[in-house]
Amino acid sequence: MATTSTTPTPLPLPSSSISTPAQSSTTQSSTFTFPTYTHFPPLYTVQPNLQTRARQLDLWSSLILSYTAHHHIFRLSLSTPPADLFTNPPRTRTLKPSDIRIVLDHMALQTPSRIEWLPPSTKGEKMGNTCWVYWKTLAEWADVLYGWVEETGQKGAVLTVYELREGDAVMGREWVGMDEGMLRKVLGVLVKRGKAQVFGQQEGEGVKFF
Amino acid sequence: MFLRRLELTTALRPYIDDDGGEALLFIANGVGLYDGKFKLPNYQKGHLYLTSHRVCYVDDEEPRKYSVAVDLKEIERTEFYAGFLKSSAKITLFPKPSKRNSQGIRSPIPQYASPSDALVDASATSSRSLGRSPAPARNLNATWACGIKPSLALMIKAAISAMSTRPAASTNTSSQRNSTVSSDLDSYDTQSSALASRQTVVACPRCTFQNDASLPNCEICGASLQNSYASQLVQRPESPGPTLFGSIIGNDTIETIKFSFRAGGEKTFLERLKGALVQRKWLLQSAPPVPKPAQSATPSNGSPWQIPDTTRTDTPYQRVVGIAGLERRGAELRENNKAVIGTAFEDLEALMTSAKEVIAMAEQFSRQTNSGTNSESSEAKALLSDSASALGLVATKDMLGTGSASETLYSTELARNLAEFLTDDRRGILRKEGGIMSLVDLWAVFNRTRNGIELISPLDFERAATMWESLQLPIRLRRFKSGLLVVQEKSRTDDKTIASLLNWLREPQYAFPPSKDDLRSQSFGRGFTAQETAERFGWSVGVATEELEMAEENSALCRDQCLDGIRFWENHLMHAFDEPTEPRAQLHAVQMMDELRF
Repeated sequence: MATTSTTPTPLPLPSSSISTPAQSSTTQSSTFTFPTYTHFPPLYTVQPNLQTRARQLDLWSSLILSYTAHHHIFRLSLSTPPADLFTNPPRTRTLKPSDIRIVLDHMALQTPSRIEWLPPSTKGEKMGNTCWVYWKTLAEWADVLYGWVEETGQKGAVLTVYELREGDAVMGREWVGMDEGMLRKVLGVLVKRGKAQVFGQQEGEGVKFF
Repeated sequence: MFLRRLELTTALRPYIDDDGGEALLFIANGVGLYDGKFKLPNYQKGHLYLTSHRVCYVDDEEPRKYSVAVDLKEIERTEFYAGFLKSSAKITLFPKPSKRNSQGIRSPIPQYASPSDALVDASATSSRSLGRSPAPARNLNATWACGIKPSLALMIKAAISAMSTRPAASTNTSSQRNSTVSSDLDSYDTQSSALASRQTVVACPRCTFQNDASLPNCEICGASLQNSYASQLVQRPESPGPTLFGSIIGNDTIETIKFSFRAGGEKTFLERLKGALVQRKWLLQSAPPVPKPAQSATPSNGSPWQIPDTTRTDTPYQRVVGIAGLERRGAELRENNKAVIGTAFEDLEALMTSAKEVIAMAEQFSRQTNSGTNSESSEAKALLSDSASALGLVATKDMLGTGSASETLYSTELARNLAEFLTDDRRGILRKEGGIMSLVDLWAVFNRTRNGIELISPLDFERAATMWESLQLPIRLRRFKSGLLVVQEKSRTDDKTIASLLNWLREPQYAFPPSKDDLRSQSFGRGFTAQETAERFGWSVGVATEELEMAEENSALCRDQCLDGIRFWENHLMHAFDEPTEPRAQLHAVQMMDELRF
């Protein structure tokens, strides 16, 4: 968070997605600059006026996307949300979990859809508590992945899914740490486009790119 | 007979001079005016208000333009025509014969010469008027012509006996001078004031002698020169009478006035009219107080008394000296009080007529007992005086006829009463509540001033309140989303309220921001709760909440739920936030710090 003091402070770098090695969602590479509107307390209360509410939800959507993009968060869980995403910097207001769900639902209905709810893990729960966040859409991911394959000249080679996710070759890439399910979806898009093919059984699946 | 221009209050009712003892007797709607056989255009649909002094017609369409009044003292007799088939019931008023028809007055007061007329007119126009059209106050001066001061006895006799019509000039006033009879001189000034004429010579009708136009009688034969009367009337510019903007106002050619009651109520109206004509309340101002037989005892102390048999001298007017005088004054007062109470409370009707005196007595008592500056006593006094006026001014249900039509009439009259009550600047009720007041509060305040008589039920109150819009009165009833009904001035729109709220929100709150971290949040202003808003604007908390929510509905404010309740902020969400431009925000914060440092 940017603070001002008498000594000149170097302005923090604008958040960039390609930066130092990003790992899981818990560590932060550089500090994420919260936009000004996060200081505005009414942001954390869902507005009854529909016009205001639409605008408010749009602001939340852009905030969540930029935050997850910055920290490479692929999955959000309502039970353990990232602490500083849904709380304002002076720590006085927090978005309630029910309101978070409202925001995420709104994002799921956007086109292109940015949120995908995962089916509930425990039986008896009506709605899931976790969702995938598409700060890049599936199509974009597919392009990025295929671009990497082309760059590294691995067209025609067979790679395992594990390699794609966590191999040495992909160190530093954006999709590192992506959920397996999500990755499969991306691959599914590529398959549909005819750029890849998946074969093999569950454990040792392989992908071949054309 | 004369139709005078009528003054209306803000609620478009006739201005009733309660100081002069005028009281409202009856109200009828759906009335049209006729002159003889002919309908008067523009005066065909309106309300008729009968007071103890006048009959007032207030038009429904354009009340400010077409409202007239007829003085009761100009009415000689009335005629009633019950409706038949299509024609509705009518009441005809016949005027007292005017001066030009009768041969002189019965009083011994001589006619006045013309040079003094200008004086008369000038004093008439410059004197204070109590809202009635011409109301000059005169002194009991020596008559212009011969310099002889008429004796009081003579004046009173003349006043009571001769009630001749005067097409011009004044009605009775509530003269605050000593002599209450002075205003009767007005009746005899007609001749004088009417004589400022434009023509130079007038031919006498009997002997064709060319008289000077300013003379009332022919010099040779003594016939009265009345034919120039009407034209003189019309041409006088400095007349204290009403302005001639309507052709029927001031028009002397109207012989009889007929009221057509198209919505009923004529029988009661006729009864009340006859009662009022008999009672002659307009004389009470000019007539001496009711003679009390106990007082006319022989002067036992030998001190000089003024004329005991005709006039009643209230103690302040009597010149007494010494302690004996003070004692006598006290004794007189006690006697007076005894007599008043005795006669007044015997009979309810008598109470109404003596109401004025009883009120005066009550005020005197309160002044004596609460001589300290106790604020409550002053309120009690105000209540007392208000109740007196409330007896006369407010429309009560028995003032109107029976039947379903009178229900709506009652509601409209009540609506007008309420409008007058609210816009009364003396009380400043709306102003005290910040310009907006809930209907329930208003009901409570209004009934409190009624002092236990003629209280208004909530149903009637609400019905009357809904009529404000249709009657085009200056206040309106407003319903909030949650169902709360409030009363406010017509000119307060939602936009104005929102603008004033935003102005208040944008006011700079602190000279220095509380902490560095909060710099950014300071740029948003501050949020306010409903409680703070109510304090700031003088509203009640319920009203403040509703207003804030109304502003939120209009996207001017947004809400923020925090631990201590709901706060409302200016709606920056809609306007201010584009894509976060962080460097600029940083710069802004740095700038602010720099500015504060130096």
